[in-house]
Amino acid sequence: MLKLLVKLLKYPLPILIITLGITVFFVLKMKDNTRMETDLDKYMPQDHPAFIYSDQAAEWFDIKDGIIIAIQNPDGIYNTGTLTKIKRLTKDLQKMEKIEKQDVTSLYTADNIMGTEDGMDVKAFYKRVPDTPEKLDAIREKVRSNEMVFGRLVSEDETVSVVIARIDDDVFSQEFYEQILELGKSYEGPETVYVAGRPIVEGTMAELGPADMKRMVPVVIGVIILILLILLRSVKNMLLTMAVVLFSTIWTFGLLAVVNIPIYAVFTTIPVMLIAIGVADGIHLFSHLDLFLAANPNATRREATQDMLKEMWKPVVMTSVTTAVGFISLLTSQVYPIKYFGVFTAFGVLTAMLFSLLLIPSGVMLFGLPKGRKIKTPAGEGGAADEFSHKFAKGLLKYKSLTLGLTVIILAVSLYGTTKVWINSSFLDKFERDSEIVLTDQFINEHFGGTSTLNLILESKTGDAFKGPQLLTLVDEMTTDVETLPVVGSSFGLTDYLKRMNKVMHADDETFNTIPSSSDLVAQYLLLYEMSGDPENLWQVTDYDYSKLNVTFQLKSDDSKSINQALDHIEKYRKKFADNAVEMNFAGSGYKALVFTDLILEGQIASLILSLLIVVVLLSFMFKSVMAGITGTIPIIITAAISFGVMGLLGIPLSTTTALMSSISIGIGIDYAVHFIDRYRENMALTNDMELSIQRTMHHSGRAIVFNAAVVIAGFLVLLFSVFPPNRELGFLVSLNMFTSFLGTVTVMVLVIEKKKLFAGNSGSKKVNSKRSS
Amino acid sequence: MKSITTFITISILTGFIFAGEITGSEVIRKVYDRPTGEDMTANLTMVIENSRGNQRVREIKQYIKDFGDVEKKIMFFQAPADVKNTAFMNWSYDEASKSDDQWIYLPALKKVKRISSDSRSDYFMGSDFTYDDLGDRHPDEDLHKLLREEKVDGIDTYVVESIPKDKDYMYSRTITWVVKASWIGLRKEFYDEDGELLKILTVNEQKTFGDVVVLTNVKMENVQKNQLTVMKLKDVKINTGIPDNIFTERIMKRGMKK
Repeated sequence: MLKLLVKLLKYPLPILIITLGITVFFVLKMKDNTRMETDLDKYMPQDHPAFIYSDQAAEWFDIKDGIIIAIQNPDGIYNTGTLTKIKRLTKDLQKMEKIEKQDVTSLYTADNIMGTEDGMDVKAFYKRVPDTPEKLDAIREKVRSNEMVFGRLVSEDETVSVVIARIDDDVFSQEFYEQILELGKSYEGPETVYVAGRPIVEGTMAELGPADMKRMVPVVIGVIILILLILLRSVKNMLLTMAVVLFSTIWTFGLLAVVNIPIYAVFTTIPVMLIAIGVADGIHLFSHLDLFLAANPNATRREATQDMLKEMWKPVVMTSVTTAVGFISLLTSQVYPIKYFGVFTAFGVLTAMLFSLLLIPSGVMLFGLPKGRKIKTPAGEGGAADEFSHKFAKGLLKYKSLTLGLTVIILAVSLYGTTKVWINSSFLDKFERDSEIVLTDQFINEHFGGTSTLNLILESKTGDAFKGPQLLTLVDEMTTDVETLPVVGSSFGLTDYLKRMNKVMHADDETFNTIPSSSDLVAQYLLLYEMSGDPENLWQVTDYDYSKLNVTFQLKSDDSKSINQALDHIEKYRKKFADNAVEMNFAGSGYKALVFTDLILEGQIASLILSLLIVVVLLSFMFKSVMAGITGTIPIIITAAISFGVMGLLGIPLSTTTALMSSISIGIGIDYAVHFIDRYRENMALTNDMELSIQRTMHHSGRAIVFNAAVVIAGFLVLLFSVFPPNRELGFLVSLNMFTSFLGTVTVMVLVIEKKKLFAGNSGSKKVNSKRSS
Repeated sequence: MKSITTFITISILTGFIFAGEITGSEVIRKVYDRPTGEDMTANLTMVIENSRGNQRVREIKQYIKDFGDVEKKIMFFQAPADVKNTAFMNWSYDEASKSDDQWIYLPALKKVKRISSDSRSDYFMGSDFTYDDLGDRHPDEDLHKLLREEKVDGIDTYVVESIPKDKDYMYSRTITWVVKASWIGLRKEFYDEDGELLKILTVNEQKTFGDVVVLTNVKMENVQKNQLTVMKLKDVKINTGIPDNIFTERIMKRGMKK
């Protein structure tokens, strides 16, 4: 390998040209073939039972997410102007190409089924907008007495009314989203118009996240360039290092385009990883070059580059391979975007390795050694390390117990924090608390049942099962009970229709707002409803032969805690339903998101453990010592523990993005450990003196690790100024992970190395020697 | 005179037409203006099939009688069992402004209730027929245009396009294929508000009773929802002299004696 690399040093220009050529090819491919995947359903494994069921149920009952447009008039909605707006907005929505006419619900479209002295009246609340106080009052009275409308389409304080447009999953696009927002805005004044609902939240997220990243990434890169310039003290070196990052990113996304895989949201973390890795390789190489030149001021370009390759190719390959394998362990995930993320990040890491070993030496050969560099400390041939590293190493060994004690305390606190970590599949929680979308959502939740929905599907094997009063009463009991939860605003199902019909057919007598007493009466009410109401509505709550029910719960929040609370409460009825030969299942987008998040985390934990094992095995082979393999995982474990601990303590929930950070922290942690252990082994082979080896390694690898950490931390801290909370969390966690990885490597890991006398004794040095001669 | 049946009976026009001179409006008028029988008794089977192929079948015994300015109809559900003896009565008036009177009797409730509904575009019992599709729409409500003459399966027809005067009506236009020899609407296409094809009505079977032709099997297909309804008539009897006094709440409760 080394021979090949050295041989290639003779052809720097062709290497550069070929690399550029392939890069241009990938750029062209990306231009043609890159597309973002924003449909969240596409992220979910289609063959997972929960998703299969949910999609099936969505088809049975035509379950769709709704866009909610709320019109508020502080003086009350019962005036000609506001009612006209509700009518016109309803019609505008119905006319939109992507919305089915019957999927728009409002006070204008709703049927008012009401009881009269001698029968039943099915009428619209209004067709022509009423213009006299008497007529307006009449509508008010009609709405108040209809519990299927009051509190659902009109708020109980009568100042807000909603128009709901249900849309298919695949309808949502950026254009559609803007159209809806614009439409809402055009109805402002004196009324206030609010637009909410899950499609809007998803749409805003799909827009805000990438837009924010687009704004922040140039700043991040700018800061990284600046810090690299300061640390490397050379424009050339900085450029070469950044070229590694840039090219590996382009190749990775280019390959995605070539194999026709769309860009999923989680892929935005790929460049993060490639920056961390690419910068690391560059810094370690140049840092070595610096030290070599300081020791051999008169060395030629070729000598210096050859030495750099000779000394550094192994750790660079080792770090890259272990990191790549760590990412490949994500293949165990059931979620395709995560699998892809693992594979393509691994590919990116390996290309970064390739560029580090080809492009950086070629660059040095072509453009010459960095000039005018002086390293302050005198460093003779294999001589003493620089002052700071020296002192640091000494102090570290002196205050061993203090360091270890502190580590134990920090780990204990972190473990406590880890128990507080919670999973959140919420989309709304990704926004600022005072952002418009969150405030709108709160506003609608205050006035109506809730903006998030959970569908409970009850299924019996017997036809007409849900015409039986006993079973229906149980359903009614359950929904009434679940509605007592503060998080559950309201529920809606077949029982609501039946209770309404029963009341209406008894001249609107409230005592008959109950489940009908016999299954024949249920059947006859349903027939009557079909004849006089809109039977389409029925097929959203039950199926053709009344063996299935869809009960919709409106929740005040879409976070996992709320959904789980409702789920747990509903679960209490599972046995009772089972006694009636009825099976319970859940459906809907909120539920799918919940299951999906759990899936991701399960996969994350599995792949975390798997990759730890793989790392131990790989490092054990590489260093020919199981102890070294285990020691190498120390920074990873510390990093992961602190990362989860801090998340728990600060209340940052685990989500799809933050969960992936654990993979990234492993990737980073390994790098530091491998560089350090490898250099330490070399030093031990030379000196067989542990303290001196630690000092020298501190000076060599330690220095590079600090540089590396400083660059990436500085870069990602910029994300703290992001306006999109998930991006802030990303910036914070990457910085934190870099810092703890670095600290864990140069403190605890070093102490363990010393304690376990790693590579001490002849056997170690022999092996190293034999390897080096190969 | 308002036609006697809701959707089924169309009498053969006896008379002479000046071929080639007829307008769309006249064609529709001919269909509407035929002499019809006095009354009809039949067993109606309604099969509704949704896009998943699920079927619901309802069997109804129905009595219809024409009283001149009002047409009265009474229907008794026979199946499914849990709605048996449920009765539905409808009085439909010639006067365009006067809406139908409707009553329902639910045996489980043992009460007759009046239903008033303001929507003629409601679907009839969850089928693909609206009340409007079933009843004859008055020719004056639409503007008619004879598009062409066409041979359908060897039968000469007039193809007439009808556009409602009311712009808010549920259909933007309909196209009817009228058999030249019998003035039967053989096929009708309904276009939704956006001008897209919504439903297709086809006549599968017709029977002649004296001078009255009864469409005994009609299918309405909603091509947008991929759902269809078939209405079949059996045991059709025309002009048997149904007594005037059966169209009452009392009979709804008691049922018809054989």
